[in-house]
Amino acid sequence: MEMRVLFVLLYISIFATILAGILAMLFLHLHPHFWWEEIPVFSAVYGFVGCVFIIVASKALGHHWLQKEEDYYEKR
Amino acid sequence: MIEWFHPGFVYLFGAFLVPLLKGKVKQAYVLLLPAIAFVILILISKGVFGEGPFWQTSFMGYELTLGRIDPLCMVFAYIFVIASFCMFLYAIHIKEDWQHVAALLYIGSTLGVVFAGDLFTLFFFWEIMAWASLFIVWYGKTKSASGAGFRYFMVHSFGGVCLLAGVLIHLHNGGSIAFDSFTWGIGSEYLGVYLIFLAFIINAAVPPLGAWLADAYPEASVTGAVFLTAFTTKSAIYVLLRGFPGVEILIWLGAIMALYGVVFAVLENDIRRLLAYHIISQVGYMVAGVGMGVFGTAAGNMAINGATAHAFCHILYKAVLFMGMGAVIEVTGRRKLTELGGIYKYMPITFWLYMIGAFSISGFPLFNGFISKTMVVTASAMWDYSTIWLMLELASVGTFLHTGLKLPWGVWFSRDTPVCEAREPPWNMLAAMGIAAFLCTLLGVYPAILYNILPYTVHYEPYAPGHVIAMSQLLVFTFIAFWLLRGKLHGTPTITLDTDWFYRIPGKMVIRFCEGPLMATAKYMDNSLMRMAVFFRGIPPKSQTVVETRINNAFHERVPALLNFQNIYNKIKEDKVREISYNVIYILIAMILLLIFVLFGLVTKL
Repeated sequence: MEMRVLFVLLYISIFATILAGILAMLFLHLHPHFWWEEIPVFSAVYGFVGCVFIIVASKALGHHWLQKEEDYYEKR
Repeated sequence: MIEWFHPGFVYLFGAFLVPLLKGKVKQAYVLLLPAIAFVILILISKGVFGEGPFWQTSFMGYELTLGRIDPLCMVFAYIFVIASFCMFLYAIHIKEDWQHVAALLYIGSTLGVVFAGDLFTLFFFWEIMAWASLFIVWYGKTKSASGAGFRYFMVHSFGGVCLLAGVLIHLHNGGSIAFDSFTWGIGSEYLGVYLIFLAFIINAAVPPLGAWLADAYPEASVTGAVFLTAFTTKSAIYVLLRGFPGVEILIWLGAIMALYGVVFAVLENDIRRLLAYHIISQVGYMVAGVGMGVFGTAAGNMAINGATAHAFCHILYKAVLFMGMGAVIEVTGRRKLTELGGIYKYMPITFWLYMIGAFSISGFPLFNGFISKTMVVTASAMWDYSTIWLMLELASVGTFLHTGLKLPWGVWFSRDTPVCEAREPPWNMLAAMGIAAFLCTLLGVYPAILYNILPYTVHYEPYAPGHVIAMSQLLVFTFIAFWLLRGKLHGTPTITLDTDWFYRIPGKMVIRFCEGPLMATAKYMDNSLMRMAVFFRGIPPKSQTVVETRINNAFHERVPALLNFQNIYNKIKEDKVREISYNVIYILIAMILLLIFVLFGLVTKL
């Protein structure tokens, strides 16, 4: 039950934030500092891609280099 | 009528009464001290004591100032005192008096740093801060806390000596003793300034010098770690704001730091170490803000206001987060993501209070992170730093991903059946979290409370539609990515190598060398020498002890006599003043090296 509420809220917020972005671009005079801020869904895309990138890149870094067994320092 | 009273001294002197008190009186007393300090701060703000500076004294021909008052130090003093009240409430049930004493000395000395008007006073309180916090780490009372404490202190004593050497060289080069903004440039005449800068960024945990933070903080006790989160790094931000505003390298260091913390947080399994990496990440925003804080420019003022405001907000929400995870450790005795999960039904209040902290750190509109973090990001846009802007936004994504999603998901949900029994923590812990969480929300809803006390007039509207929409999109889509990839985010039973590797592993090698080959050679030489002495003197072997005593005398009395301090002093006396100060610096550097070697030894023993 709780999960369903969560997902309904999620769908609403996806819809609302995208719509708000488009409406704000059309009707409000925003003051973007960079060109990409004029794209109405830039933050949405950046959030999604950034999140995937952080997970994948960090996991790769950890897996190949930084992550060690818990007694690493004791054993050496 | 007294001229002024130093709020820090309320804690420093108040600490010594703690062991004499008992039970409820003691509990009331440790809460009373922050309240008294708060009243003094209000009186200072109202101008009851006048403008200052106060408590000035002469020392070796220098004018020392213990009480410099201006808007910047008042903001930091306010938040340190308010946070200390919440933290003592959280720790009120602790029976160990000396843990309270260490915390009081730690907070008192931090306030000493904040009000210090000159570099000697700054150094004095800086050192007390390092010592006091070391004891808080050691109160974790585990073998790993002990080792982490030694490493923590090793780094901070290095930082402390850098500060002292920096101050001496700075003075020697004709610099002022007053602690104001330093002149930054390139060249050997700036050596003193560089060393002071190095000391400051060590305390701010700027990589690669910041591994001490994530190493030591999670090893402290449940209550001790909460104290540690606020003072060292944020006082470092204060001194950077005071001494090095507008130093460009800080912008890049800050942005790298913001992402560095995020990357390590992905890999971390220890719940408080994950949060510790997010301290590094959040302090990165502040460091970047300091770097952009060029005096007298609109963007510079925005950046300084942003860094100050973010330090203020950060202390509150980070306290909530550490308190929440501390509560989990308190009631379950477990501290790893791989050992937790599914315990939401036992502790819903803790969960929701934690989530207020998580929403705040992630910068949700209506919470305090939103009103402060966006100021730093906006300052980067005003300066046209597009890469910095993108890096800071990416760090925002990572922050929500870990503290707002991965950590609460892993600790309270992620499994259908609870891994262990749990319950809500004691009332005082919940109350402390409640107060801090309330303040996070209050500042988010009424940012003017904070904006009115910032060093410069604020020309910034956090709730402009553009900001709110962009941040909402960012957070909602971070959630979607998290949900799709949540299977990849389970903790793994590993540790993550950080730059502390560079002193942990070589340290062990040094000790292994000393204990092995070095000791064997020394023993061999000792024996050979003894045999030779016996042979030449014709003393029968049973009198070997006499020879041993003589050899001992030679090494312990005659040789040191050659290195007489009187001789060294006489040499120094003949030299010029210039060389004396260099001698002092050489001695100090030698002392650091010695200290590092001794500490290496202790670290690896533990």
